[in-house]
Amino acid sequence: MHEAGSLSGLLFSRFCRVRSFVDNGFVKRTIEMLNALQADGVIHHYAIGGAVAATFYLEPAATLDVDVFVLLSNPTGTLVSLTPIYEYLKARGGIEDREHIVLGDWPVQFLIPANELETEAVAASVPVDVEGVRTWIMLAEHLVAIALATGRAKDYIRVVQFIKEKAVDQMMLLGILKKYGLLPKWQQFQDKYLEGAL
Amino acid sequence: MSKGKDEMRQRLASLSFTEKIKILEKLRDRSLAIAASGLRAKAVSDQTPASKEMIANQRKED
Repeated sequence: MHEAGSLSGLLFSRFCRVRSFVDNGFVKRTIEMLNALQADGVIHHYAIGGAVAATFYLEPAATLDVDVFVLLSNPTGTLVSLTPIYEYLKARGGIEDREHIVLGDWPVQFLIPANELETEAVAASVPVDVEGVRTWIMLAEHLVAIALATGRAKDYIRVVQFIKEKAVDQMMLLGILKKYGLLPKWQQFQDKYLEGAL
Repeated sequence: MSKGKDEMRQRLASLSFTEKIKILEKLRDRSLAIAASGLRAKAVSDQTPASKEMIANQRKED
């Protein structure tokens, strides 16, 4: 046991020597651009979701892009467009690349909430600081509910991580799942993947 | 070893978000470097037909 602890300590110390090999601040610059979008009224509010948001609560996991959910300032009618966001960012150096726009070297995917759960997740997001810059992250319980609803293999893996790491408030999660009709799916998920984890 | 891995996970999870973001950036750099090196393509060519089918199904899901 002692050896295992020493090994993990060694790996950990190597892994955490991040300042020596990464200090590019790309994410910080991306966040500054997002905040400018909000400050200039192009969007009403935004929240980071997906793997980057999950990293706030869990161990870091590899991802190639940043998912940003946005509430638009002046949504009109049923058709919503990301064009104002893209135009604003392209005028400031953003580069459009298929479904992404590259900001500060990170591909960012802007997403309009597709349902009430995602809208609530953006509205209830929490402020966090990255190198002194404020940004907004979805609550762990909303991330789990969205992952459960999305239902891809990688989403299920993330849900298991949240549960095993006890990174969610169970009562709050159950409340959200109930509100959005996800309890049957949750029951199936528990039976299949969480036996003994709770 | 499992306990060691769990301990490492917990320690990584307890880092500040700023530190985690730096690790994310490093992980992304590594993924891009692997993709650029062609190692992933070689790994795919070495796969069995069954594993190729599994990966193809996963991509469809994504």
